[in-house]
Amino acid sequence: MVRLCIDGRPVEAPEGTTVLQASKSAGIRIPHFCHHPAFPPEGSCRICLVAIEGLPKLELACSTVVREGMKVTTECANVRAARRAVLEFLLAEHPLDCPICDKAGDCKLQDYSQEHGLTENAFSEIKEKRAKLVPIGDKLLLDRERCILCSRCVRFLTRVTGTRELGIFRRGIMAEVDLYEGEPIRNNYSGNLADVCPVGAITDVEFRFRTRPWFLQEKPTLCPLCSRGCNLWADYHPGFPRVADSAGIFRFRPRPNEAVNGHWICDIGRYGAMALVRNRVREIQWTNRGPRGFPNWEKALAFGAAGIHELRQSGRIGQAALLLSARLTAEELYLARKIFVDGLGFVRIAFTDPAEGPDDAILLRRERAPNARGARMLGFDTKAGLSAAVSGASTLWIFGAGPAGLDSLRDAPGPLQQAAGVKILIAAHPTGLEPLVDVVLPAASVFEKGGTYVNTDGLVQAFEPVHPPCGEARPEWRILLDLGAALGLPGEIFKGPADLISVSRALRIEHPEFLGEVG
Amino acid sequence: MPSRLLDLEPGAGPRGLAAYRERGGYSAARKALSSMTPADVREEVKKARLRGRGGAGFPAGIKWSFVPQEEGRPVYLCVNADEGEPGTFKDKYILGHNPHLLLEGIVIAGYAVGIHSAYVYIRGEYELIARRLEDAIVEATACGFLGADIQGTGFALDVAVHRGAGAYVCGEETALLESLEGKRGWPRLKPPFPAVVGLFSSPTVINNVETLANLPGLIRDGSAAFLALGCPQDGGTRLFGVSGAVVKPGLFELSVGASLREIIFQHAGGMLPGKMLKAVIPGGLSSPILKADEIDVAMDFDSLAASGSMLGSAGIIVIGDDTPILRVLDRIVKFYAHESCGQCTPCRLGTAWMAKLVRRLSAGEGRQGDVTELERVASMIRGRTLCPLGDAAVLPVLAVVSKFRDELETSIPPESRRA
Amino acid sequence: MSTVLSSGLKDRIAALAVRYPRKQAALLPALHWIQDENGFIAPEAERDLAALLEIKPIQVREAVAFYTMFHRRPMGRYHVQVCDNLSCDIRGGATVLARLQERLGIGPGETTADGKFTLTTVECLGACEKAPCLMINFDYHGSLDPDRVDRLLESLE
Repeated sequence: MVRLCIDGRPVEAPEGTTVLQASKSAGIRIPHFCHHPAFPPEGSCRICLVAIEGLPKLELACSTVVREGMKVTTECANVRAARRAVLEFLLAEHPLDCPICDKAGDCKLQDYSQEHGLTENAFSEIKEKRAKLVPIGDKLLLDRERCILCSRCVRFLTRVTGTRELGIFRRGIMAEVDLYEGEPIRNNYSGNLADVCPVGAITDVEFRFRTRPWFLQEKPTLCPLCSRGCNLWADYHPGFPRVADSAGIFRFRPRPNEAVNGHWICDIGRYGAMALVRNRVREIQWTNRGPRGFPNWEKALAFGAAGIHELRQSGRIGQAALLLSARLTAEELYLARKIFVDGLGFVRIAFTDPAEGPDDAILLRRERAPNARGARMLGFDTKAGLSAAVSGASTLWIFGAGPAGLDSLRDAPGPLQQAAGVKILIAAHPTGLEPLVDVVLPAASVFEKGGTYVNTDGLVQAFEPVHPPCGEARPEWRILLDLGAALGLPGEIFKGPADLISVSRALRIEHPEFLGEVG
Repeated sequence: MPSRLLDLEPGAGPRGLAAYRERGGYSAARKALSSMTPADVREEVKKARLRGRGGAGFPAGIKWSFVPQEEGRPVYLCVNADEGEPGTFKDKYILGHNPHLLLEGIVIAGYAVGIHSAYVYIRGEYELIARRLEDAIVEATACGFLGADIQGTGFALDVAVHRGAGAYVCGEETALLESLEGKRGWPRLKPPFPAVVGLFSSPTVINNVETLANLPGLIRDGSAAFLALGCPQDGGTRLFGVSGAVVKPGLFELSVGASLREIIFQHAGGMLPGKMLKAVIPGGLSSPILKADEIDVAMDFDSLAASGSMLGSAGIIVIGDDTPILRVLDRIVKFYAHESCGQCTPCRLGTAWMAKLVRRLSAGEGRQGDVTELERVASMIRGRTLCPLGDAAVLPVLAVVSKFRDELETSIPPESRRA
Repeated sequence: MSTVLSSGLKDRIAALAVRYPRKQAALLPALHWIQDENGFIAPEAERDLAALLEIKPIQVREAVAFYTMFHRRPMGRYHVQVCDNLSCDIRGGATVLARLQERLGIGPGETTADGKFTLTTVECLGACEKAPCLMINFDYHGSLDPDRVDRLLESLE
């Protein structure tokens, strides 16, 4: 460890760390644009200059390695003047776009300018005019007037995806970021570019003009689109009073986690998660084969329990099928096992999840569900054949991972149509099976419930809801607890309070492997 | 005054290998290779106080000593023949008229540092000279002065010519390396320094053409004689290039420390008829301007630095009283704005800001306070850029403003107001 | 004016590329050869070259766009590059440029309608002792004045 002094405070840092890294770990903020923790130092923005005792010029915090006894000053007249100079330079050719720029409120140039008291621009020459609405990808727009040439976007596409769709052409003030011959960015990580851009030069079309960052609360969650379990920030708007439909998740961003996803998420996750947010099943529905009267949970659960009861009485549990999903949390799968396997003796059990796809060498995994490993840890066979489970079944309980995952049933609905018994679909997102079942129960989406997923590497990750379930939706763990109680199954868990903590605790007492990282 | 480098008759063409050998060419290399150790050669160069002739003036012997002496990675020599500093044209003559002098210097440097592969990075505009250099390399290799077994000593060194393509910034050593590697000429962060991580990530020495061209004479005559030609901290001779409003613009090989006044008024024939001396830029466009009463200065690094300017590339630009100082300023800021590579904020934005401001002054649209603003912008760039081009853009501007402020202010309409 | 690389050029470039530890280092020399043969650097040439050097076309474009000697459109048969830096300016470079504009009928950055001349201004060419000077293709011409400009133009077929 190296001992140094930053702003008069003693700081310890491992050998080889930079002044910027050491400052960050000591809670001292040094402004920076071109630096990004995922990349080696770039040194081009020049705003991270600090004073180091014994050195005649200011030095870059991002690239200067700490030495024993080094004395660093991050706040003094010299340093402030250097930072102001960089900001003045950037503002000189920067458009006054804040009122129409999505990045306002989230923009380092804006933040630093405020902090340094730069409210007026001394530049009184004529600014360069550049293209402001350049599509560079299906979801991305580039505004060249806002670009500060930090080169983060270019470095991302060079170092992370290796695809190099963007380059920097020409030099001096005419230097600009551009595609090659208009060939757009079409890789699975393009969405990270809008995050990585420190200003509003690269913006995301899906988020464009929809809201302001200061209305949004960032809440941690996980991505359910594959088994990597990338950590996300969900930017959640709690809604304006008396404005219908103003609450909700507006966007997802990577939540850095060195053990899982580094600093990135893939587009399948980022935009797939937004599609899950937008496409919800919110209401209990049933056909005339369902219970009588106005749909509500009590009737629905009673109806479902009655159907199971009838099968048990007539010894035909073997004709009941349970379709689960690896998007269910460990707590939910644990309850499902307790009810349907241990309690009721179901034998026809299969998993419905989106088909496997190719993995890439970066984040995306082949399994396109977040908790397959967790399911297997609980004794489920996630690869059991779907048609074997469904053909000849009369009663079906389907926990659906929509929109994809039930394609084979939706496209070839024969077995489903032939099932004579009760068919209950519990899904957060439309599956296309709605017309084929008797009762549709709205489940909470991944972002509306808490629980535990185990990712492909065996990492146990617990998560909390971003916001309460919308409409009439309930998390599956609650549905299952209520079902277990309605069925009168034995077990403390069905008698106690219906809360997630009790289930989590019960899961971990019985399966201590869910307490930490597995294998 | 022995004419050591140019060494040619007026009107003579390029000196071929035979003529070069007749005058003792390649004997210094043989002396180094057969009777000196590499450490001996390095020591001689250090004692001779040979300072880099590209502009920065870094002592060559010390630069060589930064190369780690280890096995494993090849060490490269890059010869900086980019010669982009306005007012500088000396390397063109060495390359074009006495290429074997450079090649011999390369062999000596290579031997001293353990280098077997050298690239001459030559500016693209010097195409015709590059071809002559390539011919000289072929010639020298065919006769065993370059290549696998140089003069039978077992030392091997190959030289390749590599053309630039019109970027002043590629005269900066790390930008040169980037360009040689086939990329934009964006300078690198230092550390690591090229001596440790340079071309293709290998240890690399970068020396200017003239610096290397001094080595044969230095080895032949010894460090003491070399040092004696110059001044105590700065040995040898320099090729002083004089251009501008003088009768005999041209190249003059003189001792380091020669008087600027003598160079202008004796060697270069003084001012053109009808013109009075107004100012001199002594060391290429990046060097701070001197007023007419400041030219009694010795042309060596330390003396010029003490006068607030620099020897740089010894490109002396003589400005007459018929040239408005605003025009001089305009050409300076235009150049750096064009040549800024664009990588770092202060240079990219700052050079453009200065150019736009001065362009407005030149168009007669100046406003009160503009000269102060120009100074302020220049000061914001100074000392904060990724490479020396930033300071190169700033120091001449600050010097012009400081020394000719009154004249600049006259270009601003008195009734104008700050915007 | 070809937009692609002739097979002879490809062979030369391939042979040059292996003489460097990394093929990309052959980029600038190769671009000079391409421009010499084709007159300019077209996107097809960029793609051909990128394949030969095992890099991406965008990396070729970055070099073409950065270095002022490379052109993405054909220049005139005579590319007249006039220095407008300080030493040439002191010695009457502006007058030389003005005469060229007058005689050729084009301004800096333009090409004559018959494709014979392109006129550009450039930074210091390293011939300050012969200021004011210009470069036509790779040939330097110095110590110019308006009359010498006239004679120079006449001599160019």
